[in-house]
Amino acid sequence: MRGALRAGLAVLAVAVSVFPFYWMLRTSVAGADSVYVDGLSFLPSTLDLGNYARAWQEADLGRAMLNGAVVTAGILALQLLTCIPAAFAFAKLRFASRGVLYGVVLACLLIPSQATAIPLYLGIGSAGLANTLTALILPFATSAFGVFLLRQFMTTIPDSLLEAARADGLGTAQTLLRIVVPLSTPAIATFSVFSVFVHWNDYMWPLLVARDPGLYTPPLALATFQNADTGTDYGALTAAAVIVTLPIVVLFLVAQRRFVAGIAGGELPG
Amino acid sequence: MTISVRDDRRTTRTAFLLIAPALTLIALFVLAPGVLALVGSFFEIDLTSGVRWTWVGLDNFAAILGDDVVLRSVRNTLVYCVLTIVPSLAIGLGLALLVESMGRGRAVLRTLLFLPFTANLVAMAVVFRWIFALNGGFANQLLGLAGLGPLNYLGDERLALPTVAAVGIWRGVALTMVLFLAGLTSIPTAVHEAAAADGIRGLAKLRTVTLPLLRPIVVFATVMTVLGAVQVFDTVNVMTGGGPLYATETVLTMTWQLGFGYFELGQAAALSVLVLAVLIGIGVWRRRSLMGARR
Repeated sequence: MRGALRAGLAVLAVAVSVFPFYWMLRTSVAGADSVYVDGLSFLPSTLDLGNYARAWQEADLGRAMLNGAVVTAGILALQLLTCIPAAFAFAKLRFASRGVLYGVVLACLLIPSQATAIPLYLGIGSAGLANTLTALILPFATSAFGVFLLRQFMTTIPDSLLEAARADGLGTAQTLLRIVVPLSTPAIATFSVFSVFVHWNDYMWPLLVARDPGLYTPPLALATFQNADTGTDYGALTAAAVIVTLPIVVLFLVAQRRFVAGIAGGELPG
Repeated sequence: MTISVRDDRRTTRTAFLLIAPALTLIALFVLAPGVLALVGSFFEIDLTSGVRWTWVGLDNFAAILGDDVVLRSVRNTLVYCVLTIVPSLAIGLGLALLVESMGRGRAVLRTLLFLPFTANLVAMAVVFRWIFALNGGFANQLLGLAGLGPLNYLGDERLALPTVAAVGIWRGVALTMVLFLAGLTSIPTAVHEAAAADGIRGLAKLRTVTLPLLRPIVVFATVMTVLGAVQVFDTVNVMTGGGPLYATETVLTMTWQLGFGYFELGQAAALSVLVLAVLIGIGVWRRRSLMGARR
C-alpha cells in the first residue's frame, strides 16, 4: 500500500516535471493542422519537421548557436586562464595581504551581476565596445566564484607534493601546469560545466549589449523570434526552443554529478 | 621547510603575478560597477550627450519610493517570493525524501526530476507561454475537458503573477530536490539505525533527526531559492513582459524599464542598490546562520 502510494507520487512528480519538455517536443514536430487541437491529443496527428527548418531560418539560429558557442567558449577559456593561477596562489602560496585580497574575492561573490549591469553597460558603451562580441565576453573574463571553487579544492592538495616538485627543480609555472592542474581536474570540470550552463543560458546581459541581430545568442534569438510576428507560430517557436535547450540538457546528462556540484558551489558533502 | 626572507619576497612576487589578472578583472567588472551603482544612485545620469552625471542627493530614492509602479513591482516581487519560496522548499524536500526511499530507479528518478532546472529558462518560458495560451493552450484544453474555462492565464491581471510563479516553483523544486537529496545521502546509516532503535520514525524523525542534520543544506537551499525569487527576470520578460498592466512587473524587470525604457539610469541604480542591500543582507544572514550551526 505505502509502496503503491510512493510509486504513484513518483509518477505524478515525474509527469509534472517532464511534461513541458514533452509538450515542447510534441508541438515542435506537429503539422500545422495539429498544433491547435480540441481536447487533449498527446500525439500530433500529422508530423512536420518543417517547423525546425522554419525556426532555424527565421530566427537565424545557426548564427545564434555559433555566437553562443563562441561566447561560452571564450568566457570559459578566459576564466580558466585567470582563475586557476589565482586559486593556486590563494590556496598554496603564503604572501603579504593574502587574507585581505581573498576577502575581496569573497565579498564580490555577494554582488549579483544584475546590480552591476547598468554601470557595466555604460562603461562598455564609453569604451566603444557596445554591440560587439567582446562586450558579450569580456565582463565575464574572470569569476570570483571560479577562484573560490578552485581554491577550495586546491587547498586539499598535500603540501608535500608541491615541495617534492620544488625539490625536483620545477618552477611555479611548471608545478602549476604539471602537478596542480592535473590534480584539480574534478574541480576544473565542475566549474567549467557551471560556467557553460550560466553563460549559454544568460539572457539579460546579451539583451542589454547585443543590439545587432548578427550578435544574438541563442536565448536572445529565441526571445526575439517570439516577440516578432511569429508570436503564435508555436510549431516553429517550440522547435527553436528545442534547439536552444538541447546542448545544455545533453551537457547535463553527460556530466550530471559535476553539474550538481557546480550549482551547489562546493557546499555539498561528497 | 624553512623559508628565508628573500624566498618570502619572491613568493609574494610570484603570487601577485598569479592573482593579478583575476583581481584586475574582478576590480574592473565587479567591484567598480558595484561601487558605481551605489554612487550612481545619488546622481542623475544623462545619456543625451555622452554620459553626464549631476548630483541629486536622495532624489532618485524619493522618486522610486513615490512611484506607484515601482512600489507595485516591489509588492509583486514579494508576492512572487511568498508564492514560490515555501512551496519550492517543501515540495523539494518531500521529493528528496521520496527519491531517497526508492530502491531501484533512484538515479533515473533524480535525473528526470532535476531536468527542469537544467533547461534554458527562456526556452521553457516560451513553452509555458504556449501551455498557458488562451486559445489552444494545454492548460485550457485540460479545463475544457472538465467543462471549465478557458482562463486567460497570462492576460488576466489576477492570474498572471501566480502563473509565472507556478513556473518558478516548477523549476525551483528541481533545484531544492537535488540539494536536499545530496544532504540526505550524506547522513550516515548509523544515524538511521540509532533512530530506528529509539523508535523514532515518520514526521517525528524528520523533525528531530533529519532536518537538524540537514540544517546547512536547508539554509543553502533557502538562500538559493530566495535569491532566485528576488531576481526573477527571464520568465517574466518572456512570458508577460511585466504585463498585463504591470501585474507581473518585478523589481528586476522594473530596474530594466527604468534604465532602458525611460532612461532614468540614476533611478534604476537606486532600485538596484535597494535590491542589492536585501541580497547582501541574505548573504550575511546565511553566513551567520551557518556559523551558528557550527558552534
